[in-house]
Amino acid sequence: MADYYILSQKRNGEDTVEELLKNSENAKSYRKDDVIFTYKDNFKRGGEKIMEYSHVSMVQSLSNSDFNFFDENNNVIKKVEKGKMYITGSLPKRSGLQVGDKFTLKIGEINMQFEFAGSLKDALFGSEMIGNPRMLVSEEDFKIIANDDYVKQYYSGGVYYIETDDLYKLQSETADAENVYFAIDNETVKFTYFMNMLIAVIILIVSIGLIVVSFAVLRFTIGFTIAEEFREIGVMKAVGLKNNSIRLLYLAKYFCIAFVGAVVGYFLNIPFGKMLIKSVSENMVLENQNSAVIGVLCCIAVVLVILFFSWNSTGKIKKLSPIDAVRSGQTGERFHKKSILHLGKTRLNSTAFLAINDVLSQPKQFSVITAIFTICTVFVMVLSVTANTLSSKNLISVMSITESDVYYPDTQRAMEIMTGAKTERETEKEIADILAQNNMPGTVYMEANYKFPVTVNGRKYNMDFIKCRDTNTTDYTYTEGSPPMYENEIALSEAMAEKMDIEIGDTLTINIDGKESDFIMTATFQTFLSTGYIGRLHQTLEIPDHLIIGMMSYQINFDDDPDEKTIAARVEKLKDIFQSENIYGTQEYIDNVTGVSDTIKSVRDLVLLISLIVIILIAILMERSFISKEKAEIALMKAIGLKNGAIMVQHTGRFLISVILAQIIAAALCVPLLKLLIDPVFSSLGATAGIEYQFNALEQFAIYPLIITATVAVSVFLTAVYLRTIKASDTANIE
Amino acid sequence: MNTVLEVKDLCKTYIVNKRQNNVMRNVSFSVNEGEMVGIMGPSGSGKSTLLYTVSGMDKITAGEVFFSGNNMSALRQNELAKIRLEDMGFIFQQMYMMKNLSVLDNIILPAVKSSKKKESNRNIERRGRELMKRLGIAEIADNDINEVSGGQLQRACICRSMINDPKIIFADEPTGSLNRTSSEEVMDELEKLNANGTTMMIVTHDVKVAARCSRVLFIVDGNIKGEYNTDSEKNTRDRERRLNNWLMEMGW
Repeated sequence: MADYYILSQKRNGEDTVEELLKNSENAKSYRKDDVIFTYKDNFKRGGEKIMEYSHVSMVQSLSNSDFNFFDENNNVIKKVEKGKMYITGSLPKRSGLQVGDKFTLKIGEINMQFEFAGSLKDALFGSEMIGNPRMLVSEEDFKIIANDDYVKQYYSGGVYYIETDDLYKLQSETADAENVYFAIDNETVKFTYFMNMLIAVIILIVSIGLIVVSFAVLRFTIGFTIAEEFREIGVMKAVGLKNNSIRLLYLAKYFCIAFVGAVVGYFLNIPFGKMLIKSVSENMVLENQNSAVIGVLCCIAVVLVILFFSWNSTGKIKKLSPIDAVRSGQTGERFHKKSILHLGKTRLNSTAFLAINDVLSQPKQFSVITAIFTICTVFVMVLSVTANTLSSKNLISVMSITESDVYYPDTQRAMEIMTGAKTERETEKEIADILAQNNMPGTVYMEANYKFPVTVNGRKYNMDFIKCRDTNTTDYTYTEGSPPMYENEIALSEAMAEKMDIEIGDTLTINIDGKESDFIMTATFQTFLSTGYIGRLHQTLEIPDHLIIGMMSYQINFDDDPDEKTIAARVEKLKDIFQSENIYGTQEYIDNVTGVSDTIKSVRDLVLLISLIVIILIAILMERSFISKEKAEIALMKAIGLKNGAIMVQHTGRFLISVILAQIIAAALCVPLLKLLIDPVFSSLGATAGIEYQFNALEQFAIYPLIITATVAVSVFLTAVYLRTIKASDTANIE
Repeated sequence: MNTVLEVKDLCKTYIVNKRQNNVMRNVSFSVNEGEMVGIMGPSGSGKSTLLYTVSGMDKITAGEVFFSGNNMSALRQNELAKIRLEDMGFIFQQMYMMKNLSVLDNIILPAVKSSKKKESNRNIERRGRELMKRLGIAEIADNDINEVSGGQLQRACICRSMINDPKIIFADEPTGSLNRTSSEEVMDELEKLNANGTTMMIVTHDVKVAARCSRVLFIVDGNIKGEYNTDSEKNTRDRERRLNNWLMEMGW
């Protein structure tokens, strides 16, 4: 990796960036990968596109680069055979490309056949956030493409890897370079993997949460077990064993159990760890390093924790006396809490009364159970809200676009504008005409992206801008100030304003097409675009089309103001007309731009699954332990004529009270936890003023709680079936 | 007099480690309404097993048990539970109570659960308090079970066994955990109950307790070895002495 990266396109075969770097005092050294700019329509099989992506892609040769590229198995790719092509990120998987699939690359006069060699892990362009796929071909194939005159003229460029001791000065110095697609430093490259890291962090947090839950259950189980063995402990004391000797006996017992568990866990950890790492490292090179050493250390840690719990729990042994062995644990102490409820005064059904009374009489035990259920529920709720928010219309404002009926990211037309083949208006008219011909007339507009050198307080920046000719700056949301009303006014994202250290009312100088003009900052806004660093220009500001370096998408508003169902049908129709899968309604478009809502949904489902497993284990373990502890009471209830079913319902009812209470607490904690855990995530992405979360009450407060409640109820009820084995006549045998 | 309980050729066998253990062998007897029958015998003779099998708490291996004309061995678990709830009362040696309920709530729980009488919980509570008053433990109604003495707790167990006005009360060593004074108090209460018409079947090791019964069955190795009628003696001391002599003859 280097300190700074610039992706630029040659203009009429000339490369201004290279000239600038050659003469730069701040670029200690640099190297360049020659690339050829392509877009999705260049790659076809049988006349059909093979991939769908929104931005420009780059083809380059492996031997032309000093950069390390990795295959899916994290091996460095050392050679690309002639006729083969590697493609970055998850694009091949999304497009259904299989190794060995053949397709053609048609650009200029070039029409070459390629075979897909596999997915490529590329630290610079591999993240979903960058969105520019890189394709690796052999040196031989690259030369054939690069030597085409048309390609040389319009589609060639380079990726520069620059080493510098003064990043800030280098950024200022290269700010004037023309035809730069993007220029980013190493920290920003790392940031582009934020979402991948986020998912890894979520899995880590959830795993830690579940480990805590497991230890809590373990602690209680050990505690229960020892409490149940009061008689054995009493007898041991009666025959003269010392407290520490008895504690050591229990420690030895739990050491054996923990040791066996640790050995089994160590071997299970290998495939499980690989599965987890694979789930978060599709685009990253993550290795299970030192797994043997770490695995053994973790196993030792688990054994030590279990031994600590055992030692801690066996502290009660000191309190037990030989008398306990002969008095059935009744020490005569008046330790029991008075009943709060009274059967004679209640209007509750007797089974419900007994369940509630048990919960109130054993608050410590049921509080722990409730806390565990709360943790499991709240994790699922928070992830569910996050996933919904990431694909909700609420994000429109932070995408810095206005809401429209249809969104059509079309890189081919964008390239035509950028190469000067067509103007923005011409491409918009083309699309509008096609719409009219197909009886769905509408207006077409786009948010154009620009990159201009900016000077503020003597400092230079190469900054991204966005502008739409057909909307008003008043159509967008701002966090502070007033929308730009004149062409010399500008709004800056909060992150950009902070970076430049300027405030509303300050002036900045922007060099547009060689002409420097002053602009007054009138407002700030929050945005996910350009990792939060961008400015919005006034709609009336005239900027030549050839300075456009990209676009969000063509936005379409139908004239007849159709309902959502009609829009959805038209989206499908437009996919056929434009032969593109990249046509979306608002929600799908946001889903596509954020790119992680599906992954978050997968994580949510995984967390739900893990939570359900934990819940089932806890329910079974705790209920089994309750049955064992309450054997005498169960036998008594049966003896006096209570039916099995009523006792099972009472036992299930106790857990139901806990789980329902947990759902209420989780619902109350959901918003504070979103603010605490997820707000910083959105803030890092550019939504610095917070975000309006998208709640789906049915999903978050009905479906998931119902799933969890039903799982608890079924698990406990089925476990409670065991109490049928306790007979009324056991009252004679239970001491 | 009506027969409340009729036992015909009752057998109970346990299989332990593939070994058959015949605990009850062709036991036959009957208990009439208003009787107070004592069951005695050495440890392991099958006294408690007899009590639990005839009350439907445990299954019988062979034979028949009729309770108020119902063949108990033909009934399902839920039907047996209903009979135990509404027509039978139980007193155990260990004073089993629900630890999360107050003494009064423990007593009235069977009545609240029962559909025998359609009455409000308040009425049941009132009846529970009256019963406790009768047995002299009214002051512990709202106490927790840990806050009362063994004798008080056993009297509370008697109240619980009476709350549904059962046809019969089964008592398994009701004074086994009590001191002499408490034992006598408890037996006084059981005697009063019996005098009021409640049928009783009491398993005991205590000659003083057995001497209060109208009839004593002596069990050895799962068989009724003998039967002794105490009603002929009015003097308590004489009853105890004669019973003791009879027991010695039986090999006690």
